[in-house]
Amino acid sequence: MTRLLDVENLTLQFDTDEGRITAVDDVSFTLEAGEVMGLVGESGSGKSVTAKSIMKLNPSNAVYSDQTKITLHLDDGPVEIMGLQTSKELQVVRGGAISMIFQEPMASFAPAITIGDQMVEQLMIHTDMNAKRSKEVSIEMLDRVGISDAGTRFKQYAFELSGGMRQRAMIAMALSTKPKLLIADEPTTALDVTIQAQVIDLMKDLVKDFGMGIVFITHDLGVIAQTADKVAVMYLGRLIEQGAVRDVIRNPSHPYTKGLIAALPSLDDLDTPLTPIPGDIPSPLERPAGCVFNTRCSVNMGEICHAKVPQFSAVTQGHNVACHLFNGEGAK
Amino acid sequence: MLQFSKFVAVRAALAILTLVLVSFIVFTLMEMVPGDCAERYVAFKNSQGSVITPEDIQIERVRLGLDQPYIQRWGSWIFNAFQGEFGDSCILRVNIAQLLGQKFWLSLGLCLSALLLAYAIAIPVGILAATSKNAVLNNSLRLVSYLGLALPNFLLALMIMLFSTVMFGNSLTGLFSKEFRDAAWSYDRFMDFLGHAWLPIFILGWSATAFAIQTVRALMSDEIGKLYVTAAAARGVSGRRLLMRYPARHALSPIINSLGFDLNRIFNELPIVALILTLTEAGSLLIEALARSNDQQLAGAIIFMLTASIVGINFITDVILALTDPRIRRSIVG
Repeated sequence: MTRLLDVENLTLQFDTDEGRITAVDDVSFTLEAGEVMGLVGESGSGKSVTAKSIMKLNPSNAVYSDQTKITLHLDDGPVEIMGLQTSKELQVVRGGAISMIFQEPMASFAPAITIGDQMVEQLMIHTDMNAKRSKEVSIEMLDRVGISDAGTRFKQYAFELSGGMRQRAMIAMALSTKPKLLIADEPTTALDVTIQAQVIDLMKDLVKDFGMGIVFITHDLGVIAQTADKVAVMYLGRLIEQGAVRDVIRNPSHPYTKGLIAALPSLDDLDTPLTPIPGDIPSPLERPAGCVFNTRCSVNMGEICHAKVPQFSAVTQGHNVACHLFNGEGAK
Repeated sequence: MLQFSKFVAVRAALAILTLVLVSFIVFTLMEMVPGDCAERYVAFKNSQGSVITPEDIQIERVRLGLDQPYIQRWGSWIFNAFQGEFGDSCILRVNIAQLLGQKFWLSLGLCLSALLLAYAIAIPVGILAATSKNAVLNNSLRLVSYLGLALPNFLLALMIMLFSTVMFGNSLTGLFSKEFRDAAWSYDRFMDFLGHAWLPIFILGWSATAFAIQTVRALMSDEIGKLYVTAAAARGVSGRRLLMRYPARHALSPIINSLGFDLNRIFNELPIVALILTLTEAGSLLIEALARSNDQQLAGAIIFMLTASIVGINFITDVILALTDPRIRRSIVG
């Protein structure tokens, strides 16, 4: 396997009227070509912000720390994403080597521009195809993602398509420039369950065909179990557990990951009550000291959890967790 | 294309229907004013010293066709109105089309110019205000536009007149210089007109601009925050292309939509400004006809032409909207 992406010490704060808010705190992970990584967490855990950092797509009040280093390994050498400044330089990570699909396909197409025009626009920015060739490639892509009558759909607007069709079109557009990395921000959350399965199958197929890496953002561990090779769990801007998807789901180690899995409804026994994680994710303005999860943790060990930020330690080979239960001092 | 022609046809039919309905309301209002044209004329003659009997009034009624049934008179009024013929003024006894003709077009021209001026300034400034993070620029723009909204037009007109009278000894009133007032249109007269017209256009445009800047800024800020703009940026669209093709283009629809409304607002302000600048335009004639001389024929004609202008503008903006926004095209035809 070849390395595709290195994210090292990603720390990101937003300048707001209430002061600097930490959205992502010292997040590091890697992704190989052809690998699917699930990025899991509740709303507000910083998973979307983390993903957008890879394209430097966060709003202009975002401040990255000096230690932040994001490297994209392309065939013609590594690209330091934090060093990209002009919109010309940024094109490689915006729609070129990296594409992104969003949660709401309806809202992510411009309402008064045809789907075809938006696809052609992207191809003309990133490739040297002319308008005619771009149109042919776009229609081929629409056809490839299973949209019937692609030639007609090409001329239509997002509001004229069904929800599943729109997300397919979004995927077709994202993949038309043959990116090396696809960022999928909750791509199936807004879809019906049956359509959800179709879209996930489609994405799995395409990953195989195109050999690209995917960062798959979701709050749904069920989707991750089906789709991802490895998983990283985020809470309040920090990674708290990561590893191969089977390891993490079979043997969740962080109390938060355990809670997430316990909170999944079970169809086998409809009488068991759901067990939600108590409490709410704290406001980013009131980040707890020590372990960020200490306000809701069921095994809170007192002082150490409030005083010290837990570092990663290995549960098994390749499965790491940031919890004092597994660190030297607190380990049982 | 077929969809578009259908849209235009439906819209045109609706516009004409609206005008017919409005004409009915206007005509009914004219009828509800106590007395009729014949009595009014006779009363006027009486005040001039003539002695007129009830028989004379009856003869005058028959001559004016006022003895016909209500619906029939409305029918012929609207039939003529659509051809630009409004009969004679009750008091002045001259053909209304002739009396109004030029004045109406001048008024409409002033209002349209003010509207054009307002948006020519407001669109770039509003977009700049919505995209700029510069606090000084944003706050000064806000101050200027609040001033524009808060300062009444007539006060601004008075201030400018006072200033120019003191400074230049010229009060800048009227639409024409004395020598051109009743002359036929010529190049010189037109230039003279432009030399006078800028002031009312500026004054009318002043508050309209302030209002339009606020509208454009709010709409742009709204669109810029939408997901499709982020999505376009994620595809590599950037700079001016991103701004113009995505948020600006989509903010345009509601702006075009509000043009008819803005024109109406400007026309409402015209009479006061005209009064101060002593312009003879249709708005002041309307006030004269409504409030002073009770000339129902004249008032009705002006209201009808004003409504027709607004309906016409709305029709035009709807067609432009349909050209720029596919959702609108769909909405009417289904």
